[in-house]
Amino acid sequence: MSAAASSAGPPPGAAGRDEDVLETILAPLRQTASWWWILLVACGAGLVLMAVASAETVGVGIGTWGNNIPVAWAFGIVNFVWWIGIGHAGTFISAFLLLLNQPWRSAIARMAEAMTLIALVNAAAFPVLHMGRPWFLYWLLPYPATMGVWPNFKSALTWDIAAIATYFVVSAIFFFLGLVPDLATARDALRGRGRRRAYGVLALGWIGSGRQWRRRRAALGLLAALAAALVVSVHSIVSLDFSTAQLSGWHSTMFPPYFVLGALYSGLAMVLALAIPVRAAYGLEQVITPHHLDRLAKLLLSLGLVLAYCYVVELFTAWYGGGANDRATHLVHWPRGPYARLYWTMLALNLATPQLLWSARARRDPRVLLPAAVSVLVGMWLERFVIVVASLSRGALPSSWRDYAPTWVDLSLLAGSFGVFGLLFLLFLRFVPMAALSELRRQRFEAEAST
Amino acid sequence: MSAPRDEMRRRLGAVLESADPEARGRRRFLELLGASLALAGLDGCSRMPPREILPYVDQPESTPGVPRYYATSMVLDGYATGLLVESHEGRPTKVEGNPDHPASLGAAGVLEQASVLQLYDPHRAWQVRRDGAAASWGELAAELSPAALRPRVGARGARLRVLLEATSSPLEAEQLERLAALYPEAGIHFYAPLATTAFAEAVATAKAVVPQYDLREADVILAVDADFLASGPFHLRYAREFAQRRRPESAPGGMSRLYALEPCPTPTGTSADHRLAMPPSAVAPALERLLAAVGPGAAPPAGPDWLAALARDLRAHAGRSLVVAGPRLPAREQALVLSLNEALGNVGRTVWFTPSPLLGAGDGRGTLAALVAALRAGEVDTLVCLGGNPSYASAGALDLSALFRRVRLSVYVGLHENETARDCRWTGPAAHFLESWGDARALDGTLSVLQPLMEPLHGGRTRAEALSLLLGDPLARSYDLLRASWRRRGTVGAAGDFEDGWRAALGRGLVDGTAFARQAASLRRELRAPTGAPSASPIEIVFRPDARVHDGGFADNAWLQELPDPITTLTWDNAAHLSAATAGRLGLGEGDTLELRAGGRSARLPALVLAGHADDTVTVHFGYGREGAEAVARGVGVNVYPLWPGDAFAVTGTLARVPEVPRRRLALTQEHWGLESSAAARSLTLDEYRRAPETPPRRALSLYEPERRLPDGPSPHQWAMTIDLGACIGCAACVVACQAENNVPVVGREEVLRGREMHWLRVDRYAVGPPERLEVVRQPMLCQHCERAPCEYVCPVEATVHSNDGLNEMVYNRCVGTRFCSNNCPYKVRRFNWYDYNARRPPTEQLGKNPDVTVRERGVMEKCTFCVQRIREAEIAAALEGRTLRTGEVRTACQQACPTEAIVFGSLTEPEAEVVRRRRTSRAYAALEHFGTEPRVRYLARVRNPNPELAERT
Repeated sequence: MSAAASSAGPPPGAAGRDEDVLETILAPLRQTASWWWILLVACGAGLVLMAVASAETVGVGIGTWGNNIPVAWAFGIVNFVWWIGIGHAGTFISAFLLLLNQPWRSAIARMAEAMTLIALVNAAAFPVLHMGRPWFLYWLLPYPATMGVWPNFKSALTWDIAAIATYFVVSAIFFFLGLVPDLATARDALRGRGRRRAYGVLALGWIGSGRQWRRRRAALGLLAALAAALVVSVHSIVSLDFSTAQLSGWHSTMFPPYFVLGALYSGLAMVLALAIPVRAAYGLEQVITPHHLDRLAKLLLSLGLVLAYCYVVELFTAWYGGGANDRATHLVHWPRGPYARLYWTMLALNLATPQLLWSARARRDPRVLLPAAVSVLVGMWLERFVIVVASLSRGALPSSWRDYAPTWVDLSLLAGSFGVFGLLFLLFLRFVPMAALSELRRQRFEAEAST
Repeated sequence: MSAPRDEMRRRLGAVLESADPEARGRRRFLELLGASLALAGLDGCSRMPPREILPYVDQPESTPGVPRYYATSMVLDGYATGLLVESHEGRPTKVEGNPDHPASLGAAGVLEQASVLQLYDPHRAWQVRRDGAAASWGELAAELSPAALRPRVGARGARLRVLLEATSSPLEAEQLERLAALYPEAGIHFYAPLATTAFAEAVATAKAVVPQYDLREADVILAVDADFLASGPFHLRYAREFAQRRRPESAPGGMSRLYALEPCPTPTGTSADHRLAMPPSAVAPALERLLAAVGPGAAPPAGPDWLAALARDLRAHAGRSLVVAGPRLPAREQALVLSLNEALGNVGRTVWFTPSPLLGAGDGRGTLAALVAALRAGEVDTLVCLGGNPSYASAGALDLSALFRRVRLSVYVGLHENETARDCRWTGPAAHFLESWGDARALDGTLSVLQPLMEPLHGGRTRAEALSLLLGDPLARSYDLLRASWRRRGTVGAAGDFEDGWRAALGRGLVDGTAFARQAASLRRELRAPTGAPSASPIEIVFRPDARVHDGGFADNAWLQELPDPITTLTWDNAAHLSAATAGRLGLGEGDTLELRAGGRSARLPALVLAGHADDTVTVHFGYGREGAEAVARGVGVNVYPLWPGDAFAVTGTLARVPEVPRRRLALTQEHWGLESSAAARSLTLDEYRRAPETPPRRALSLYEPERRLPDGPSPHQWAMTIDLGACIGCAACVVACQAENNVPVVGREEVLRGREMHWLRVDRYAVGPPERLEVVRQPMLCQHCERAPCEYVCPVEATVHSNDGLNEMVYNRCVGTRFCSNNCPYKVRRFNWYDYNARRPPTEQLGKNPDVTVRERGVMEKCTFCVQRIREAEIAAALEGRTLRTGEVRTACQQACPTEAIVFGSLTEPEAEVVRRRRTSRAYAALEHFGTEPRVRYLARVRNPNPELAERT
């Protein structure tokens, strides 16, 4: 551990006795709280809603959505980009912060990684449902078709598929590799044949030998280097879905970094929005300490500031570039057009809220952090809505200007995706050690040894 | 052709009839199976009419899969327009104009184009009914036979009345003469809901006459509430002539100048160089001022105003000017216009008169009013109503519906079981004109042929056949009647040459040299006297036929219902149009419900605020609020006939907002009129055009290498199109032509409200200038077939690709529906199948689909193909003949329909092609050029020819 990292605050890892920490993390795996069941049913209802709306979409047609010409993309793509963005924080925290040697990440890394995987599952559902003929999804894959037709490698959508699939695979491996020692701990600590056998199989024969630890560490390091690049590439490529088009509001060279930053911003907000209730529900105050919240809040604030810079640059470029269409989109249609209210709400939520976090007290107070995180989440959803819908609805030809309104199917899919997310996250909380137990314990022993 | 088929049918029938139901051998089973399949096959594939019909000009022998064209005519309000109809194995699929016909000159309007769908309308009357129950033509014939009828209507037929939709058919005239001989006292009445006697009252001639114009000879034109470019029997011809004088490069004698006075914007008014919105009551004073200024011995007009400038312009072009009066202007205005033309010396040069071809024209006894009087007096025992829909399309005060119900024996033969059918005891299906033999006259008297493209789908009868029921000849067929009539009258020459003449007439669709001679017409002077000051009423209500459903007879046509109105882009509705100032004064917003009151009657309509509308005036359109059995038409819009007094098309009344009715969303396809920049639609004045350099402006400097313009593929052709915005009058014939040619689906009002109309070609409209002097630039917008197409590189599955001959192709069966192509299209011309719009279409409607064009399924993108099926068909034909394509051989559907020849299509590789010539003019430009898409469609900027006196102040 570097002295700089450990001197920045209280010692990393969990406070309290080792046995207590072990028990806190493993307790949810032993028994189920009643609130868990209630939430599970609620989220299950969301899943049903998503299933009904999806069946309507595929069975009757994409016409059940509110999309039109010119707004051919709307809720489906907004939700897709938003969920993909959420899926960034997990790998960022695990991989980037691992590479940067930030030990405080251990307390929240597992939860963030699980969030990433679940968000990716959600995100992937939207572009598929969004297609006119989703049963031909496989045509987007480069397989040796008998007709000798490949996907169009010039299209950003083809890159999308590759980028997201790669990201999902690497994130899943990374998640699982980190999990193996904790699964072994669960195997050893839990009672019951079924559980022991299940965790035993998943632990892949982990016995905690020095060789295993060494190899795991090397593999994690390698994967972290790979995943760190992917964090940047995935959302860059998602942004190319827009910036390779010529539509003003989309056609901007700034989009890749702008989208990556926005994604991290919303992802970190989601980590906070999840960690704070989980911490309270499972009594994890010893594991996720105010110190961790403080670190996350600082990251959120700094990303918010960078995003503000992006907004300014985007506006300035549109004005300075002098293109009539660009100027109209950014200076007329967004701030004064049919979606002006959403635009200004977005600016308020994304730019004003994080300014609360200049206060050290606020950064450590969950009662401030949770609303701030939720407001950033809403703000970032609105940002994607403004980019996608407000730009499309006011194109280059005034004859084709049309407004957009969502239908019940659009709203159900959005609500349902939260249900699916919640459901999978509840299952994660119930069956997977929610913090990196082995890391926490190692850091604690190392800290004790060094004092 | 039919003889061997009948023989075959007889033999197969014998096989089937001899079948022993007990015999179940395998051999026998196969025999029966084969026989029944063969029998089904005889009729299953073709509904060719049983008589010999003759294709247009001469074409090679019929080949399966190769369409043939037949000349026929469509009759609207009694006047014929010559058409060529494409037939695929006995199924008419597409209507084109007949280049030889004076009313068409090769173009076809909106209603003509949509008549194919009317033929296949699943809601057409399909059965003879008596009091709603199924009956037969035989029973009806027995009811109407002279033996049965004479005791009822009297030996001289005093209690018999026949009401015919307006007609100009010599065959029907002959039938009616025979009827008059059989029943000398029977009343024969003619009816066209939108016709007026105003012009007839204004002229003093023994026989009714109609005016005709030559717009090629007119340097200055004033349209007085006249939409001569987009409505009326000769509008296609006038539009062509007008456009010939509007091309600054080639107009013989220079560009003409058009002024318009009108209450509500029309295609003609918005095509004018100067347009003045004016309530109907202000028209007569304005015309009087003009007459005072241009009349013989008048002092030169002074003053800076619009009318004075117009008067000076008219005087300066005496003999080469033209004042056109709208057909619905009252008699006094008609007389003033006639006086103006006389004073300017235009009569005989740009305007002349010919006898009216309509039967019963100028005969006061044959009017609807005379029939109403007889019905009210209870003098009618038997009423036979042929065509039209008088119960619906007549003034509310007449209450024809109740009068019809009082008649003992009422018979209606029409296309639909409409309101009139409901009021009559007997109804029978009429044959559609595409199922009929017959004749009719064009406005100028040219005798035109109706020949059927198919056997009647529903056993319908023509009017001549229906009249034969009354004549005691129920088995007479139009084919025989027509031939006998022509033979008797020597229509196509002497008896010995009859067959040759007959074949020639069928081949060309008309009989040459049958146009009427000009006739002198002079004014009835007494009409010139002012009839007193107009009453000071708050609101003037103007009634107009609808540009899409006409008088309501086309209301069951989904193509027309979904066609955006040429001015407002309204679909699936009618509305009360009023100016922004009037709406503001009354606190009205778009879609607010208005209550119009006039003459003790009222109607409630949604308001539609329209720039360029006259203040304190409301315009409403007929044809909506239908209540017949036509499922498409029923419940669409509001019926304004009850509000209409019947004798005038403009009345005074009041109007008030109805606050308790919630605002109605109007299904407009274009919500924004403003043109943000000139990058899309360009317009300039003649002066600006003359000052412009001869060559197109140089392209902006770029760091990139200039793109090669033509792909160096193996194709000998590089397809391209030019569209002349100056010639486009916004009539939308191209839109319906495209819909018919390319199987474009109809989506309905809800989907239009969602922004999902499917038209591959639309006519965009942009308002320039201040709203009180609405000036419109119209831009037909379709796939631009960009050489550097933004849609192509974003498609992940290569479903939209470029062909060697320069087409941007859409591969439907490869499309997965990501819709990225539409997002990246700056022109927004791509259309998406949000639902399975083609699912479960009625079988008759499926007959009308163009078999050369794929019907698209749910979830795929579609768009204009430059009518690729026509290109390939022509290429194949040329290849079979071992030659290359001739210049101008391929014509797109929109180009073919366009009356003003605004659209030109051709190959860039042919230096002499018109499309190349037009692309080289200084008016040519690419829409949204700054996107660098290098479109193959080029527009020619609209050039206006404003009066310099008036232009200085704009």
